[in-house]
Amino acid sequence: MNRASMNWNATINGKERELEVEPSRRLLDVLRTDLELTGTKVSCEIGRCGACMVLIDGEPVNSCLTMAYQCQGKDITTIEGLHGDKPAELHPIQEAFLEEGGFQCGYCTPGMIISTKALLDRNEQPDEHTIKEALCGNLCRCTGYGGIMRAVESAAVKCKTRTEEPSVAE
Amino acid sequence: MLLNRENSGERWRKRRDGKEKVTGELRYLTDMTAEGMLYGRVLRSIHPHARIVSLDVSAAEAYPGVVAVITHLDVPGLNRFGIATPDQPALCEDRVRYIGDAIAAVAAHTPELAEYALSLIHVEYEVLETITDPLRALEEDAPQLHPEGNVLHRTSVKQGDANEAFAGCAHIVRETYRTPRQMHAYMETEGGLFVPESDGRLTVYAPTQHGYKDRMQIARILGWEEERIRVVSSPIGGSFGGKDELNVQPYGSLLALKTGLPVKLHNSRKESVRAGLKRHPMRIEMETGIDLHGRLLAHRVRIVADTGAYATLGAPVLNFATEHAMGPYRIPHVDVEGISVFTNNGVSGEFRGFGGNQAIFAMEGQMDRLAEKLGMDPWEFRMLNRRQPHDPGPLQQEIWRTNGLYQVMEALEHSTIWQRRQARLDAGIEPGSFVAEMSSDKDRSIKSQPPWIKRGIGAALAMHGAGLGYGIEDPAGGRLSLNAAGQIEVAFSYEEFGQGLIATMEIMLIDLFHCDPSDISIIIGDTDRVPHSGSSTASRSTTMAWMALQRLKVPFLEAILQQAERLSGIPAQELTTGIGGIRRKPGMKDIMQPESASNLQQQGQVAESSSNPSHVPDHQIRVYHESLSIHGHQASASNAGQGSEQITSSSDATGELVISYQQLVAQSALDELIFDTHFQYPTTPDEVMGGHFLYTYAAVAAEVEVNTLTGNVRLLDTYHTVAAGPVINPMGFIGQIEGGSVMALGFTLTEDSVMDDGHYMTKNMDTYIIPTIQDMHSSLEVEAIEDLPENDPFGPRGIGEIGSVALAPAITAAIRQAAGVWVTHLPVPRERLIQPLGVGQQEGVSPR
Repeated sequence: MNRASMNWNATINGKERELEVEPSRRLLDVLRTDLELTGTKVSCEIGRCGACMVLIDGEPVNSCLTMAYQCQGKDITTIEGLHGDKPAELHPIQEAFLEEGGFQCGYCTPGMIISTKALLDRNEQPDEHTIKEALCGNLCRCTGYGGIMRAVESAAVKCKTRTEEPSVAE
Repeated sequence: MLLNRENSGERWRKRRDGKEKVTGELRYLTDMTAEGMLYGRVLRSIHPHARIVSLDVSAAEAYPGVVAVITHLDVPGLNRFGIATPDQPALCEDRVRYIGDAIAAVAAHTPELAEYALSLIHVEYEVLETITDPLRALEEDAPQLHPEGNVLHRTSVKQGDANEAFAGCAHIVRETYRTPRQMHAYMETEGGLFVPESDGRLTVYAPTQHGYKDRMQIARILGWEEERIRVVSSPIGGSFGGKDELNVQPYGSLLALKTGLPVKLHNSRKESVRAGLKRHPMRIEMETGIDLHGRLLAHRVRIVADTGAYATLGAPVLNFATEHAMGPYRIPHVDVEGISVFTNNGVSGEFRGFGGNQAIFAMEGQMDRLAEKLGMDPWEFRMLNRRQPHDPGPLQQEIWRTNGLYQVMEALEHSTIWQRRQARLDAGIEPGSFVAEMSSDKDRSIKSQPPWIKRGIGAALAMHGAGLGYGIEDPAGGRLSLNAAGQIEVAFSYEEFGQGLIATMEIMLIDLFHCDPSDISIIIGDTDRVPHSGSSTASRSTTMAWMALQRLKVPFLEAILQQAERLSGIPAQELTTGIGGIRRKPGMKDIMQPESASNLQQQGQVAESSSNPSHVPDHQIRVYHESLSIHGHQASASNAGQGSEQITSSSDATGELVISYQQLVAQSALDELIFDTHFQYPTTPDEVMGGHFLYTYAAVAAEVEVNTLTGNVRLLDTYHTVAAGPVINPMGFIGQIEGGSVMALGFTLTEDSVMDDGHYMTKNMDTYIIPTIQDMHSSLEVEAIEDLPENDPFGPRGIGEIGSVALAPAITAAIRQAAGVWVTHLPVPRERLIQPLGVGQQEGVSPR
């Protein structure tokens, strides 16, 4: 390993990971290249498009603007870590995007869903203004955002229903 | 039918390719890696126009970790690419013509090493004059960019005698329109993985809209036979025309072959902007005259398109713009000339709408201006001048007649947005001061608006050609089989770039065979596995897939039902395909007559071998129609509009299971259950270069709010109606119209790849502004008109482009009504909309 490498550890999608990482590397590259978590996408690389959005300690962050060393010891969730109560199941947000057609080419979708997760974790009944505020850092070129808006509205209902059902309690 | 989830019933289906997209599991071709792969990088010119005096790659070659460096000397075949005219060097020899021109490429063990190696390549340039303006390129003393000069293509349409007719016009409108260098801005930038195989072949995993065309172009560069190359081209993270031409494929292929190792390339956004295609900026002069009653008499058009450094499809784009510069209107005297000019500004090429966007913006602008001069309602004025149902096409060519134009015009008239406009005008509310009545407007609960907020409503019309047009090879086809796994398998050379082609095909197959999605296999985007069925461009693939399946289903059904009869002893006419396998038909209704099926098949074969594939003979139309009546579902004219019909729950699907598809295929010879078809996209029989045969119609209304303090324009409401035949996949249809509409919103209000002296000033998404979810308004209605004339043999029309072509003129008409300003340049210059405070209604503004 490179002399400049550091021991890097973080919780990624619920699992403790330890890697040798050079301090000059971005979180985006560590995720996509070292960990092969290619659900996190690369597009503008200047923090404008949101395709590389991940959750760091629950906050939505563009992983292209985040150095790996800044995430030392943090809890990172990528699209691969977002699923239903069982890993084979879809998260209600994913289900809503699927049902409403909240995607086309799908390239912006992981980032869009991660931003939606961050929004709904904070606000379970967001109004239109709040949704737009939360998602305006995620660009989509295919859908015109109509399907995304409908998906997020539907996801809010689904997530709320889920938390209210006692049987799903962990 | 107003399209939405509620109105779509069972046709609203989760996309077959959706789960892996929402989970992030889908491996795009730019996500792929291979054991021991190298990373490729391309050295591009730093000057928009220069002579290469010397090129030295020795330091880069010698650098540790660098495996190969290639230049033009490493190109064994034709060192050029370009779909229509190969004039772009894969690697420049002695001259660069734009800042995306490639000079060398490197393969190294890491991306960082490859990047660093580029800095070690020494290029000595002699800078030449940069041609940034097409008009400069046309001057005699301008440097010549290509051996044939600076003109790529000219078009001309003359009908009647425009010069003379103008003298007799009561009103004439002259205007010059300009449109921006719009960028496709697909979220996945260009890239791919290039793998030299142990058997001497090359596999190319790189997105494109036409895998076979890429294969041909790569083979030409390598000097190989095409069959040695396999192109895997789907899935794609957006294209919109932008990945139709080659991009990184030459470099990946050459580096992989030189190193013998897999090579990955993936453009950064900056490189994508620098090297990629854009929409042609056009300058369109129009002069249009009417008589006293408002009838169009004469129309003169001059189009100048900036095609940039190389041809790609610049010529067909100009053909398309020329054809669409007359709109869906009757004009006795027409004089249209177009010219597509080489410059040192990037490369302009294929982009959703294909030249129609620019021409329709200009033509619809003329219509609104003329109506205003005449004091006539703009929609009435269009009705007065629209083409009649039996009129030929804009180039006087024979076209397939539908009532689409009348239907979309009528639908728009009845839309709530247009009704609102009329109600305001009838109530005598001054245009531009619509906000005053907002407090009483139930659907807009805005208490009071300051006087600098003004609203207006406008509308526009489009008649948009589909297919590549007369004179261009436009092959179609497909394969239908029962595969070894016991699935009904279709294979097409179409691509999935998000539009929903896979979902649409699944619905088509369920319509035809009443089977379960798990009974289906869909193969696309792989030249080793699919037949040659042409490109996924020009709004053609849905129609072509549907027509191919109409041709294939009769022989296919006959073969598998006869095989089922042989194995089960139950007569074929009592059997049908259904969920999981061949099932017994419940009643005797809908009985398939084997004799007639056989006749149909023979007729179909006659039609297929017809020596004149460009025109659809009458008997062929009958075949389609009759074959439709056998199973009589969805696609036939009489059933159009029944989008919510539940195909899978029909009794055919669930009758008694006779034999599963797996059992059937296990006891059959596979090659007897494979059917291919080949035909051409329907084109006009008239020899008019680029002339289309099938047209789709759309009408768009838009309501805007203009802030005359800031010049900001906000879209409040949009209505799209589209006449494109039966809706197969409503989710996909809505997505295409909504997505096209918002892309057109960017074209109208914010998007422009700004260039200065041949360099892009807008290098990334921070300065190139595409719409965000903040720009989306809550009401965008999509109304689909599904009727087709009886006996229409072409089924659902493609709608990939038509959502993006008519919004701009609707918005600028709305701006005129709101703020009294005629906009001629896109994106709308905000400074033109700013008005001094305290000044009331502008002088002379009283548009109806």
